[in-house]
Amino acid sequence: MSPARVLASSLVNSLRRYQRRVSLWLLLIAAPIAARYMIPMGPDAEGVRIIIGRQLPEMTSGFLGVSLGIVVSTLLLPVAWLYLRANTTRRQPWQVEEVTAASRVAIALGRFAADAVVLLAMLVVLTLSGFFLGWLVIPSGGLNVAEITFSLWVVAAPALLGLAALRTFFDARPLMRGAWGDVVFLVLWMTSIVLPAVAMGAERTFATNMLDFTGFASPLLVGAPAGTDSFVIGGGEVTPGRVQLDVFAGLLSPGYLGSRLAWVGIAVGLAVLAGLLHAPHRARRKAALGGRFSRLFGRPPGRVVVNAPPARFSVAGPVGLVIAEMRLIGSGWAFPLLAVIAAGVSAVLPDFRHGGSAAGLLVLAFALSAHAGRSEARPFVSLTKLAVHEPMLRRAAFIVGGIIWSVLLGLPAILHHPALEVLTIASVTGAVAGLAAIGLSALTGSAVAARLVLLAAWYVYLSS
Amino acid sequence: MLELKGVSKNYALKRVLDDVSLTFAPGLNLLVGPSGAGKTTLLRLLATAERPSKGSVTWKGGAGRRALRKTLGYAPQAVDLPDDLTAREFAMHMAALKGLKLEQADQQFQAITAAIGLHDDINRRIASFSGGMRRRLIFAQALLGEPELLALDEPTAELDSETAGKVTGLILERAKRSVVVMTTHLAEGLRPHAASMLRGEAGQVTPQALELSP
Repeated sequence: MSPARVLASSLVNSLRRYQRRVSLWLLLIAAPIAARYMIPMGPDAEGVRIIIGRQLPEMTSGFLGVSLGIVVSTLLLPVAWLYLRANTTRRQPWQVEEVTAASRVAIALGRFAADAVVLLAMLVVLTLSGFFLGWLVIPSGGLNVAEITFSLWVVAAPALLGLAALRTFFDARPLMRGAWGDVVFLVLWMTSIVLPAVAMGAERTFATNMLDFTGFASPLLVGAPAGTDSFVIGGGEVTPGRVQLDVFAGLLSPGYLGSRLAWVGIAVGLAVLAGLLHAPHRARRKAALGGRFSRLFGRPPGRVVVNAPPARFSVAGPVGLVIAEMRLIGSGWAFPLLAVIAAGVSAVLPDFRHGGSAAGLLVLAFALSAHAGRSEARPFVSLTKLAVHEPMLRRAAFIVGGIIWSVLLGLPAILHHPALEVLTIASVTGAVAGLAAIGLSALTGSAVAARLVLLAAWYVYLSS
Repeated sequence: MLELKGVSKNYALKRVLDDVSLTFAPGLNLLVGPSGAGKTTLLRLLATAERPSKGSVTWKGGAGRRALRKTLGYAPQAVDLPDDLTAREFAMHMAALKGLKLEQADQQFQAITAAIGLHDDINRRIASFSGGMRRRLIFAQALLGEPELLALDEPTAELDSETAGKVTGLILERAKRSVVVMTTHLAEGLRPHAASMLRGEAGQVTPQALELSP
């Protein structure tokens, strides 16, 4: 049983699966489109500005490559995560794979390699579009495709490989296959963006570069004029004029390339570790664990009516549908407990916008995405298409259910705050969260995209 | 050849199998009983998809799980089949995982699918398959190679009587040289061919409730 053949089969068949879905082509065009709108096309143009000290850098081929790398390794990482987790290869035939004697390391490496190929293909497309962008934004005579390619790939490729490895590793561990995996990814992603800024003032060594998973700190700091030791990505006040930034001084500085190679090595190592630590799927054990809590919080089955009459149509109609959706949104064993905590926060904290509302939104981010993911699964939608209440009406009821839950979680705050203000905030957050959850789940057929987007939105909501 | 010694299986607070001791010899071994009796759990234990909470499952007097997996063919009731692949591509992937020579595995897969009426569809994507076709594909991949132990969970469910007959014919043919353990709700037709028939009762599968019938 050759591990090489197992690896090759996993790689080839995963690539076949990617290639046969339209979502691959959407991913491939997402990066160039994002880059087009995130790289400012002129001094006053919209986009994500990179400010060194208090000035914009002179646009050079190297700096354009680094800018594109920053777009990938920060903003596009969650998009790529969504693609890998919610899409083509989400379903694997583990029921028959896990009872073969094949090397789990080989399977993991094959799937990691396939994910890596897809993400690097996105990087190739971005590189090509970078040449075109360079032609537009770099002063004549300054365009150098080799410099764009080198600086873009050194910054972005290790981050993308790390993402592919993280996906492989999370698929290997039961706890990380679901919602917790997305939460942990979100925390790691935000940490990876913040960490380079924390180490901004430190001397650039291999160790400090290893803190910079996204790889943009050294290129922006080392080649900056003397006395400049800070940068801002996103926006801010700038003074007129352009700063001369030698990104290659940073890219070729001691420890930088070594750290990027080390991140590639860590990515491959993580994929190997995924194979070594692979835990088989245990669907029934998970259900049984939930059953323990259900016994604590759930209701016992009712008395059996032997000659129960056939159920008649409800006169309530859509109202009954909303109630049913509300029950399903709050059906998890943890929901009652978390709802009580969120309601408690809204009762205790005076700032409802950043306290009770944020706590309620966090609970709903999980509850709404979980139910939306279940109800928008393709086989279930094909079944509900035939129901009296067609899917769009059910989706509307879902959003209304989300609004009511959001208001209920904020109800204690009405005792302490103007009721209208609380009602408005709670209703709007519930409506937006419900709309996002059902919309994204309907598009992808799973809960992953909705959960990740809602968690990111929750973080922005909390910190804004 | 395949032996269970004092095997118990718990899911949280529920004991599904309780101190089961059995020996499976070559031939067709039928597992019957009502839904929820623990038949699938027992099959999953035999197929190494689960570990027993207590007791042991031994193959050929003590070979390990890996040795058993090298010679195992397993067809569970449901598999998350990769819809984007063709049936043939999926089968060849399984053949690679089983360490089979791919050219020979391809020929064997074609022979198996011809015997069960699936051959015309092997180059179609699984996404277009009906429930019965998926069931036959899961069955066909289990037969690849020369498995000495075949664990089959309701292989004829969702099949029309003619196709079910073709599948049963292949199972009986394999049972002449392998240990075949098969769960079924339709055991009567197979009973004359069975080496053993084991019965679980009312969800609480215990050694006392399992009866060996001729």
